Amino acid sequence: MINSYRPTTVEEALQLIHQKRCHIFAGGTDLMIRKRQWQGAERKFTQPVVFINGIDSLKNIEETDTHYIIGALVTQTEMAESHLPEYIRVPYAQMSHPAIRNIATVGGNIVNAASVADSIPILLALDAEVTLQSVEGERTIPLGAFILGKYKTVRKDNELLTYIHIPKKNYNAYYYKKIGQRKASILSKVSVFIVHHKLDEIAITIGAVNPMVIRSVQLEKQFIKDHSIPDLIQGFKAILSGVNDKRSTKDYRETVAINMIKTYLEGVINEL
Amino acid sequence: MKIDFILNGNAVSIESTYTRRLLDVIREDFDLTGTKEGCAEGECGACLVFMDDLLVNSCMVPMANAVGKSVVTIESFAQTEAYKSIENAFMSSGAVQCGYCTPGMVMAVYELFKKYDAPTLQQVKEGLSGNLCRCTGYQMIFEAVAMLVKEGYRYD
Repeated sequence: MINSYRPTTVEEALQLIHQKRCHIFAGGTDLMIRKRQWQGAERKFTQPVVFINGIDSLKNIEETDTHYIIGALVTQTEMAESHLPEYIRVPYAQMSHPAIRNIATVGGNIVNAASVADSIPILLALDAEVTLQSVEGERTIPLGAFILGKYKTVRKDNELLTYIHIPKKNYNAYYYKKIGQRKASILSKVSVFIVHHKLDEIAITIGAVNPMVIRSVQLEKQFIKDHSIPDLIQGFKAILSGVNDKRSTKDYRETVAINMIKTYLEGVINEL
Repeated sequence: MKIDFILNGNAVSIESTYTRRLLDVIREDFDLTGTKEGCAEGECGACLVFMDDLLVNSCMVPMANAVGKSVVTIESFAQTEAYKSIENAFMSSGAVQCGYCTPGMVMAVYELFKKYDAPTLQQVKEGLSGNLCRCTGYQMIFEAVAMLVKEGYRYD
């Protein structure tokens, strides 16, 4: 018999996860599937389960002069219907389908760290940081340093991801497209997110190709200087390492990612 | 353990684990079988219910996340005027064949009108993207929604 708990404050949750190694359960749209057995059977959890969805203090979107601060339990629907900039709202509105967005959380998608997680390319391009809290203290680190690989993060067993900090930027244009077998309710084969201010500032991420989201600040800087699409594409080609799996092939993923970036940026340059 | 929540307007208390699915509690403990199990992975929408007025897949909700919440199933929703109009539109358009997806589909249509007064075809497709139907080919369901739009159906 696995024990399960339903804390209603962060402090209570931190005490629980400090004592034992636990599954931390937020919206559950991934865990309910990963831990299932046969029809009618209860989910198969091998560690105590801490259900954190009763912690209301993590359900708010706040802002300071410099940042948007998103509580880990804010849902994807709340993100899509918030007052955040369009380049954040629109990608969230395209994740999964309405009923899943009503329960799937921002924090859950990050901590889960699936290689196909749709929120990670967005948050990574926006230089988001995450706050991890434990009974021993707290740390805030860049999202890029938080995720180590597919389903792997630097989160320690006694740490809870509590907030996501998104810096406010003066981006005035963005491109977001994800490719899947159908438009909704599907895991991406490949996704591209580009956010920029003219061509003075730009961030480009490619999701679902490599085990981790691809972003190269170095290529972005070079592109701002020389506006050379061929060089940018060459640079990306060198770091793409897609795989063949049940959803798609390496060739398809890489070709489509490159084509999306190329087509969009050619359009931007033509309009300058 | 004891879990309290509100089901179809009545305060209820059940003996259950936190990890049990809301779907199983609704069907087994309360014998409300209008809520169906389809894919069991949040893709098909056969198990949709309203939880605190939000459309959710009850196969994705462990009882821990239903504590204190107000859950409305198709049995209770079917008593409302809002439902009757959707039912009429579905019947007139031939939007029901085997009927397995219908409870979820009807609830998703209601939620769609919460967001849009007169949803366009694109918005209808997006709003019903979490509901799979293997009989109708969807066309008749889209027509039913178009009929509701024409009648000036409003979320209340």
